[in-house]
Amino acid sequence: MDDQGCPRCKTTKYRNPSLKLMVNVCGHTLCENCVEMLFVRGSGNCVQCDTPLRKSNFRVQLFEDPTVDKEVEIRKKVLKIYNKRDFDFPSLREYNDYLEQVEDIVYNLTNNIDVENTKLRMEQYQRENRDLIQRNKATLTREQEELEELLLLEQQGNEQRRLEVLQEEQRQLQAKRKNKQALLDELEQSQLPATILLAQHKVRAAQLETQIEQQKQTVKPTNLFSTGIHMRQTVSLMAVPKVEEVLYHYKPLQVKTYGPPVPELEQLGRLGYLNHVRAAMPQDTAGGYTSALACHRAVQDAFSGLFPPKG
Amino acid sequence: MFHNSSQRKYWIFKKEDELEHMRCKANQKFRNKILESGKPGLSESMFLERHEEDVLFRHYERRLLDFCNAFKPAMPKSVVGTAIMYFRRFYLNNSIMEYHPRIIMLTCAYLSCKVDEFNVSSTQFVGNLLQETPAGQERVLEQILEYELLLIQQLNFHLVVHNPYRPMEGLLIDLKTRYPTLDNPESLRKSADDFLTQAAMTDAGLMFPPSQIALTAILNSASRAGLSMETYLTECLGLREDKEALSKMYDSMRRMKTLLKKYELPKPEEVNAYKQRLERIHVEFSTSSNKRKRGYEEDGHVAKEPRLVEEEWTDEDLM
Repeated sequence: MDDQGCPRCKTTKYRNPSLKLMVNVCGHTLCENCVEMLFVRGSGNCVQCDTPLRKSNFRVQLFEDPTVDKEVEIRKKVLKIYNKRDFDFPSLREYNDYLEQVEDIVYNLTNNIDVENTKLRMEQYQRENRDLIQRNKATLTREQEELEELLLLEQQGNEQRRLEVLQEEQRQLQAKRKNKQALLDELEQSQLPATILLAQHKVRAAQLETQIEQQKQTVKPTNLFSTGIHMRQTVSLMAVPKVEEVLYHYKPLQVKTYGPPVPELEQLGRLGYLNHVRAAMPQDTAGGYTSALACHRAVQDAFSGLFPPKG
Repeated sequence: MFHNSSQRKYWIFKKEDELEHMRCKANQKFRNKILESGKPGLSESMFLERHEEDVLFRHYERRLLDFCNAFKPAMPKSVVGTAIMYFRRFYLNNSIMEYHPRIIMLTCAYLSCKVDEFNVSSTQFVGNLLQETPAGQERVLEQILEYELLLIQQLNFHLVVHNPYRPMEGLLIDLKTRYPTLDNPESLRKSADDFLTQAAMTDAGLMFPPSQIALTAILNSASRAGLSMETYLTECLGLREDKEALSKMYDSMRRMKTLLKKYELPKPEEVNAYKQRLERIHVEFSTSSNKRKRGYEEDGHVAKEPRLVEEEWTDEDLM
């Protein structure tokens, strides 16, 4: 599962698979215990690369490769600044160029190439587009809130449904118990013979069953499709563009055999060829062999290439 | 089927001159190779001429046919035909002086068994070499396995060979069904079979489609028996209007018969003389270093120091 151990205590990771690895900004991993150990002593340097660190910079590792985690962190930070959306750009090409810029920055920061320059570039961009950044941040948060609301609604709906089903089951159980109790009471009190009472009870139980079945089958009327479109709503789609092409014409396959025509497999019997071939024994026919197959093959071979080629 | 096979596309030639030309080229190529390598003590007279190569080729072809006929379990005719065709195609592009025929012929037979799905294990195959001890048979088997890939390469990986045996069966069936003029086509079978075996020993397989060879065999045996089959060609095969095609077909048949007539059995004195020279050439110029690693039996004696002395197994060990 995890083939890397913690670089400091090495053994603990294998012995304790539930131990989590933490990753910091320089991209190196440390298990939780070692992180504690490191900051207890007050020294805040990474074991492998000696960069000064803060305890808050450690995050639980989500990916097997710590460099991936490092990149994810950097990307988050960069995207906080570079948060333009596709409708901010007049053409697709410019949007793609912008995205490429962002990727370059992330790559440089992850692989420690040209860090100074990149940071300068970032600051410059930040200064230039300050209000745009703010606006986009606002829209982003609004969208996220809407999504969260939807999720919440869905969850609530699920909960409600679950409760309803439970209640139904309870009611059905109760009805059954009441029925049984009624039978016992009647057996005690009524004057009718026991067999008639039992028959009546059976009838009532059957009725109850059918009722329950019917209830299960009634679908709750709803007015929303699962994609969120209202049922009565007419959705107008864009007209599908018509593509005019040449129609395909089937032409049967023509094979040049350079010889006289061979009769079809099915005609061989009728034409009398099969009289001159060894008949198929019962063991052969079991596998699907017929004497026509051998005959056809022999005649095909006899006629193939018989005539000299033209010219 | 033959009409879209590699045999028709790549291994059917129009004239005997073409074939002769290819064989001369192979001969020349070997000579140049040896002359360029600059080995001392060679002279032009050591090399075999074209007609001498031819004699040896026919001799080894006969040996191949005898080996296949004596094979246990009985080898079907198509396997024999395929083996002979491989042998012929191989020596179209390679010289006898470069690869010794006795190994190539066994490799051809071995490959042909595999390709034609005639299931024989390798030990069973070499078990048919009756003159050798089991150890000797092992050695032969190793050699066969070495040369197998070379053979396949020189055949340009075209391994499917269409033999004239099934077309002959087909023509006999057709005759019985559509040609009542001839009352007993079965009587033609034996003579046609002999014709086909003889034709396998000639270049007919490299120049004519197998169905034409089969038709020639049947027409030949009919004319031998004094029966006329002209109307079969015109009526049943629909060639009444197409005089050109008819004449072309007669022409090819005539050429095929000439080929068969030209064939002559190799004479033993000539064969022995050329064989000696061939052995010498192989001993001197053999490029395969594997032969030097093992010793071979010669006339039943096991060499005392097999690794140092290079003794080759001879033809007598085969039969």
